[in-house]
Parts: sequence; C-alpha cells; structure tokens
Amino acid sequence: MIEDIPRRLPSSALSAQIRVIGALFTREMLTRFGSGRAGYIWLFGEPMLLALMISSIHWARRESLPNGLPTFLFYALSYLPFMMFRTIVNRSANGIQANISLLFHRSISLTDVMVARSVLEMMICAAVITIFITVAMVFFGEYPHQPAVFIAGLLMSALLGHGFGMLLAALQVFYEPVERIVHPFTYILMPISATFYMVDMMPSETREFLLWNPLVHVHELNRWAQFGDRTVPHYDIPYVLTWILALNILGLAGLRAARSRLSIMGE
Amino acid sequence: MAGAIELENVWKSFEVRQGTARRHVLRGVNARITPGDHVGILGRNGAGKSTLLRILAGVERPTRGRVRRDLSMSWPIGGNYGIQSSLTGAANARFIARLYGTPLKRTEEFVEDFAELGPYFREPVRTYSSGMSSRLLMALSFAVNFDCYLVDEALSTGDARFANKCREVLDTRRAHAAMIIVSHNALHVKKYCKTAAILRNGMLEFYEDVDEAIAAYQGL
Repeated sequence: MIEDIPRRLPSSALSAQIRVIGALFTREMLTRFGSGRAGYIWLFGEPMLLALMISSIHWARRESLPNGLPTFLFYALSYLPFMMFRTIVNRSANGIQANISLLFHRSISLTDVMVARSVLEMMICAAVITIFITVAMVFFGEYPHQPAVFIAGLLMSALLGHGFGMLLAALQVFYEPVERIVHPFTYILMPISATFYMVDMMPSETREFLLWNPLVHVHELNRWAQFGDRTVPHYDIPYVLTWILALNILGLAGLRAARSRLSIMGE
Repeated sequence: MAGAIELENVWKSFEVRQGTARRHVLRGVNARITPGDHVGILGRNGAGKSTLLRILAGVERPTRGRVRRDLSMSWPIGGNYGIQSSLTGAANARFIARLYGTPLKRTEEFVEDFAELGPYFREPVRTYSSGMSSRLLMALSFAVNFDCYLVDEALSTGDARFANKCREVLDTRRAHAAMIIVSHNALHVKKYCKTAAILRNGMLEFYEDVDEAIAAYQGL
C-alpha cells in the first residue's frame, strides 16, 4: 500500500494552470455551499425585495414607466447585473485573507484564487438571473430582446467587478483600511450606476456626469438587450472595454506587487 | 534522480514598522540538501525557522542570495497550511489531488488508509485533534510523489508507530525522497532525522551527527 504512491500525471503548463483554477473553484464551491443555505435564499430574496419595494412605491404614487415597461421586471432586471458586479467586487476584495493559507502551495497564485472566486460568483449570479428571466417569460410573456447582447453585458459587469475587486484586494495588502471602504463604496455606486432609472430620464447635464461611470453603459446596454426599443439606451462599448482592460491590468499588477509583501503578515 | 536544493548566501530582511531600520532574519544561510537526506533544522522561537521554511518551500523570495531547487518540494506540512479546515479530510484529499494532478480516487484512498482517521475522514478538519491533523497532513503530502518533504513541527504529536510509518514511506522512496524537518524540539529531530543543523543568529550550522547537534542546541 505504502509503496503504491499516487503518481502525478504529466501535463502542459496551460493544463496545469486550468487544473489549479479548477481545484480552487471546486474548493470555493464546497466552502460556500457548506456554510449554510441562507446565503442562497438571500441571493434571490435581495433583488426580489428591492424590485418589489420600488415597484410598490411606483404603484402608490400612480407612476408608470415610459412605453409601458413592466415595473417589477424593469427594476429586478436592472438591479441584477449590478448585483453581479457588487458580489464579485466584495468576494474578490477579501479573497486574499480568506485564502492566505493556500498560498503555501507554490503553484497557487493570487490571480488563480481571484479567477476561481469570480467565476464561481458569476455562475451563481447567472443562475439567479436565468431564473428571473424564465419567470419573466413564463408568467409575464417578456422575452429578452437580444439574449446574446444581454449575456455580453453580464460578462462586462463581471469583468469590471473582477478587475476592480483584484485592485481593491491588492490595495488592502499595502493599506489595510481599504477593506473598510469596499462595502460603502459599492453602496455609493448603486445610485450613480443607472440601476433604478434610465439615463434618458435624466436632464442632459446629469447624463454627462453619469456616463463617466462604465457601469451605467453596461446597465443601459443590458436594459436594451432585455426590453428592446421601449428603452432609449446610452452606451459606448469601447469606453467600457477600456475600463475593463485598465482595471484588470492594474488589478493584476497590484496582485503581483502585493505577493512579495504578503508573507510579512502571513502566519 | 540527480538534483538538490541549494541555498547560497541567503539573506532575508523585513521592514520594521517604525523607522527605516531593517531587521535581518536570515544572514547568509548556506545549505545543500540532496535526495535521501533527512535533515532536522533546530531553532528557538523567533530564530527565523518559519522564514527559512517559506524560502525553502519557494513561496517567498530571499532578499539576497540564491535558491536552486532541482527537486520537487512539498508545501510546508504543519499548522494547517494549505488545507481548508472547514472541509472534510476527504474533500482536502481531493483538493490536493486536483491541485497536484494525482488521480482523484486513488489519492483519496491513499490518504484515508494512511491517515487512519476512521469515520473522522468524512468530518471537517476543524473537529480533529492535533494528532489527527498531523496524520492527515502527512498523508496528504505523502499522497503526492514529491522528491523532498518539508515538515514544520507537524509530527510533534505523532506517536511512535506513526513515526515509524512515516519513516517507512521515506525509506521506500529512499532513492529520491528527502525530508527537512524544522522544529524547536530536539526530540522530534532525533526521532526522524539522520543529520541536523542549528539555525542561530540568522545562520545555519550543519552537524554530521544528530546527537552532537542536539547537545550544541541544548547548550545554547
């Protein structure tokens, strides 16, 4: 028995990389599922509650959205891509502390940890969104106008969140108090990200200000992809892609710089 | 399987929180560990054992000097490094298998058999006693055919029978398996090692004979 040691199978650098991320992904999934189901109920409950609350304010004030847009679905589907961004940011931002003991495996890099976390978060949020859209189709007869564009929009949300989350995680290594501003910051972002309104509803000075925020473009695109020409979207995809690229490059560079400082705080 | 781990004039210093001074933890460590070596590194608390361990494991770079690693080195075994204590022993075995690319089922069987945890193998690691934890950690690392095993006081609670079993594993792989144990406890080093070294004042002194090293260490 003792002589019969499991042998490592030879593999290329790329497949080794995928294997490492796969191992981390499975581990993240087990630890997340293991820690109680309440978190999953909340994943559905939070967007549901928010959308219901805003819809009822609308109903009470006898307001309605332009072009007969469905109130509840409008708010739910506007909020969900933002929720994906926010969860990815929050999970990535404390990814280092949660995984510090894993860094004792030479083959695991900080980037691997972050990628595994973000992919898992993205898949969980995508599952929640799929359920909402299915409900929209079955009960409200609302079919996505451009499903492929919607998926691309979600991907952009995720990549923005991933880059920003990596950057925040790296900054925390250099300056710990950054940890405290992560949550407030994602809250501040909510009202200025066109989550609960359309840019087109705003006066033009406000529009200009809002359009600095790349998330606004993503949310506008997503709403158009879902509701079609009942919305008047304002977006600039190259602008969003520039942000994605910049945040991810900064995030990767930050993690690289953080790695050599980490052991000082390690066990 | 030629190869070795060589440290050449390795220095490691850290920034001190206040002021501009730097604290030198390692001041020119030289070492050469070859296949079949069972080396114990003795050092008092704060002597820089953990730092040396991380440099040996390759998860930290020296400030100055060179590290040549031609042997595949395990992660540092001890203190729940590299495992997840909210997961079961079995889940950790599968994690290690995925990470190091060993066959999943085979690895799980090996760890279950070697660690002798009984039904606890399917319980979260945080419910383990320290002895059970160290058996699991040894089993997890032995489940991968490394050339050199790096142990951080993990065997402290292993009983004599388990110690023999670990030795047996290393012996059956004598052709290439080396082991480095870093400990403050002379008894553990005596139990597992053929040679020993003392880490003192940031430098490593090697002794051919374990007893001689222990005598010098206890005389400190």
